[in-house]
Amino acid sequence: MRRQDGKGSDFPTEARRRSEARDHSSAPRRLGAEKCLGLCLAALALFLWLALPLAARDYPPDVPPPKAATIPAPVIQVLPNGLEVVAVERRTLPLITLRLVVKVGAERDPRGLEGTAALVNSLLTEGTAHRTSRQMAEAIDAAGGLVDNGAEWDSSFLSLSVLSDQADLAFDLVSDMAARPAFRPEEIERQRTQTISGLQVAHDDPVYVADTVFQELVFAGTAYSHPEDGTLQSVPRIQAADLRSFHQRYYQPANCILAVVGDITAADAFAHAARFFADWQNSGPLPEQPASTPTSSSARRVVAIDKPDAVQTEIRIGNLAVARNSPDYLALTVANEILGGPSENRLFKALRSREGLTYGASSDLVCHRRLGTWMGKTFTRTPETVKSTHIALEQMKSLRDEKISENELETAQSYLVGHLALDFETSDAVASHVLEMIQNGLPMDYWTRYAGELRDLTAEDVRRATERYLNVDHNVLVLIGNASEFKKDLKKFGSAKVIPLSALDFAAPDLRVPGEAGN
Amino acid sequence: MAAGLLLATGVATAAALKLPATEMHRVDLPNGLRALIVEAHESPLIDVQVWYHVGSKNEVPGRTGFAHLFEHLMFDGTKNLGPNEFSDYIIRSGGTDNAYTTEDTTVFWETVPGNMLPVVLWLEADRMRHLDITGRVFDNERKVVQEERRQRFDNLPYGHVVETLYDHAYTVHPYRHLTIGSMEDLDSASIKDVQDFYNSYYVPNNATVVIVGDVDWHEAAAQAAKYLGPVEAGSPQGVQTIPQEPPQAAKRLIKMDLNVALPAFVEGYHMPADGTPDAYPLRLAAKILSEGESSRIYTRLVYDRQIAVQAQSTGNFTEDPNLFFVFAVLNAGITPAHGEAEVEAELTRLKTELVSETELRKAQNQILRDFIIGRQTLQTRAEELGYAAVVLKDPELVNTEPARFLAVTPEDIQRVARKYFVPENLTLVEVNPRPERAASATTRQGGAQ
Repeated sequence: MRRQDGKGSDFPTEARRRSEARDHSSAPRRLGAEKCLGLCLAALALFLWLALPLAARDYPPDVPPPKAATIPAPVIQVLPNGLEVVAVERRTLPLITLRLVVKVGAERDPRGLEGTAALVNSLLTEGTAHRTSRQMAEAIDAAGGLVDNGAEWDSSFLSLSVLSDQADLAFDLVSDMAARPAFRPEEIERQRTQTISGLQVAHDDPVYVADTVFQELVFAGTAYSHPEDGTLQSVPRIQAADLRSFHQRYYQPANCILAVVGDITAADAFAHAARFFADWQNSGPLPEQPASTPTSSSARRVVAIDKPDAVQTEIRIGNLAVARNSPDYLALTVANEILGGPSENRLFKALRSREGLTYGASSDLVCHRRLGTWMGKTFTRTPETVKSTHIALEQMKSLRDEKISENELETAQSYLVGHLALDFETSDAVASHVLEMIQNGLPMDYWTRYAGELRDLTAEDVRRATERYLNVDHNVLVLIGNASEFKKDLKKFGSAKVIPLSALDFAAPDLRVPGEAGN
Repeated sequence: MAAGLLLATGVATAAALKLPATEMHRVDLPNGLRALIVEAHESPLIDVQVWYHVGSKNEVPGRTGFAHLFEHLMFDGTKNLGPNEFSDYIIRSGGTDNAYTTEDTTVFWETVPGNMLPVVLWLEADRMRHLDITGRVFDNERKVVQEERRQRFDNLPYGHVVETLYDHAYTVHPYRHLTIGSMEDLDSASIKDVQDFYNSYYVPNNATVVIVGDVDWHEAAAQAAKYLGPVEAGSPQGVQTIPQEPPQAAKRLIKMDLNVALPAFVEGYHMPADGTPDAYPLRLAAKILSEGESSRIYTRLVYDRQIAVQAQSTGNFTEDPNLFFVFAVLNAGITPAHGEAEVEAELTRLKTELVSETELRKAQNQILRDFIIGRQTLQTRAEELGYAAVVLKDPELVNTEPARFLAVTPEDIQRVARKYFVPENLTLVEVNPRPERAASATTRQGGAQ
């Protein structure tokens, strides 16, 4: 990492091959007081003999319990204009990060103008009323600055890290970029070209295509059902007026949170925020987000994207899940650990450890402000596509239909509780947990109560959650690969639609370029 | 006066900001194992890393990919633990563990609560001397690694470009092949190879243990001696001499027509090994060329000319001499030759004009920032220390290396640009979309507007 200058790219120039998290079989197989229950002597002797090599095993030493993880209490002040400022002080390294979060993202893209939130956000760094794009870039780079920005679901962000003797400059730049972007025509066209080229490259990336198709299908009927960066059809349509109007409506101080993190005292952070952000005015009440209902389906929706030169198939299986502030979130978090999280991961055990079908198998519980998804994912060589899909579905069914073991529950709980110390290791991580609370309307003692509430969950709580939210029969299945090799077997999973990659259109309701016929 | 001027233009004075010094304690065990311990008490955690000084450059012909395959096997069972039980202990503590293989090293690491130190050291010692791999497990892991190759390379649109570059830039040095290896060689690897590799390289006298975090260093040193001390030293039999690459005499050009949307090119210039005097100006040159939106290549190719969606330079610095990359993904309809000419203009400028003090200071600030960001987690701190100790062969470099960057002058940058960015030192891969793709990319974009 340290020796690789530059950011991620489309070329795997990074020579390292990091392997993924490993399988974690559930019970350490220890031989303790075995029950003989009237076994004959011969059988007992045989048992002891077989057990010998195992009995000779060595075990790691016992250790005292760990120190409790300290969860810092959030330090928050609200400016008169409504901007919430979160300070996370850590003086060990000479670095300051400002992270401005707007509580609106791609879900507010106007219909037909998908990608507006992303384009607005990308233009923040490309010039303001006070600075041209070049001047902005010079100022950021000279301060050793690192910018990260983007539009996600339910939020957009702009993050700037600088060497800590540059605090004034950082507050000046971030407030300028957030409040006064210029949206100059030539900069809009530059960013548009960049976005379009990026989408063209992404169209060949199996991971992007699989995730995006899955998202469109599972969120159909809701504001989360389009690509966050827009489509090759929508991006060219976005006008300067659309960008200005989006910025004016949503980039208001009362709709934002500013996290100030690192080598600066809380008092200093609040003083700087007041000085640089106080004159940022609200433009009016936030428009209501129209209510939407997800499209329901009485059968599994199966879509295969045909990429004839693929040597591997990317597989996504899942369904809708809860919003982040749902009371069922914690039980689902534990269930997700058991299905495909870092700790238990039944998918990994079944697909990788037992069968060697893949390098990675996992599941993601992704919960937005209004809705979420629960998705299993893996990839496998083309000839094993159907077998791998079948195994993943079987794992999901068994999690839904059978109660988890106490051992699985305990492993998942001890992992999640013990992992809190890692979750809060850096000041950036502390800030992101505080932001998560505020953005999702969680109580401010959420993280201090988290460990206790996790430990209180029972196997029955987890069963109730999986029964309700793991919809194995009416879910979405997406495959992208060389479909001619497996499409004839897809009917066992449901009525399948096969779309050639060249005819895939993320902007079309049926995902197909208009006028392209066939199935 | 100079300082006032710099502040007035918003340029941070890099030398004024001090990185906190890393105080390390070194323990050498009689079996040849070296431990480096750093106390850090900001969190109740520790990171433990075991660095084996073996990577893909130690692979023998016909066994490419074996070092990385072996790394996977280290999780697959010992005389005491079944497959994957190693990680169970880490997971139950709430910790994280993983491993990676590079051209030069294989690194195993765990971040765990501090109370876990004896467990982690026991586990690492256990797999250092009691690895036990069955044929079934070996075959399964080979398939897993082959899926990893498909996912990271074979199934990606530009996935073979860098592999092609290395295959032509090197003729004899093992950097010619990527760490992942070839499918054919992975197929040929056998369980017989496992024991030889284990005996040659996975021995305490080829290992460095790094411990960073919430420990008392005396206590950590005692634990390291207790658990790792009893592992017997190995004899370095079967260790290969690595053939060194002869100087390249002429430019090498490879053209590929691929099923991709956009044209691209990758240039690789031979450059010296990491830690050598020229490595420092070269890393600063990479920053000046492409770090941030005010950098030279970004400004020319992406911002001004608008011919590239992405353009970057980066050195792949390693123990033996490797390549300095410049690569770009071009917008539809732009030829690689056009992009290369624009890059060439910037490389020529580096050779003919001295960079200004301001621009050099900017690059130094970016390097300093990278050092700081690299110290935010225990894992990256331990990684920095392990790298300095094993690859650069001087752990104190974590403290002294920033000064080497700050000592670089504009003349140094000009000198290395003139020395290395020359045609006879260059291997170049040009990528063009297959004709049917080039046509569809243009109509799609044009038609949409």
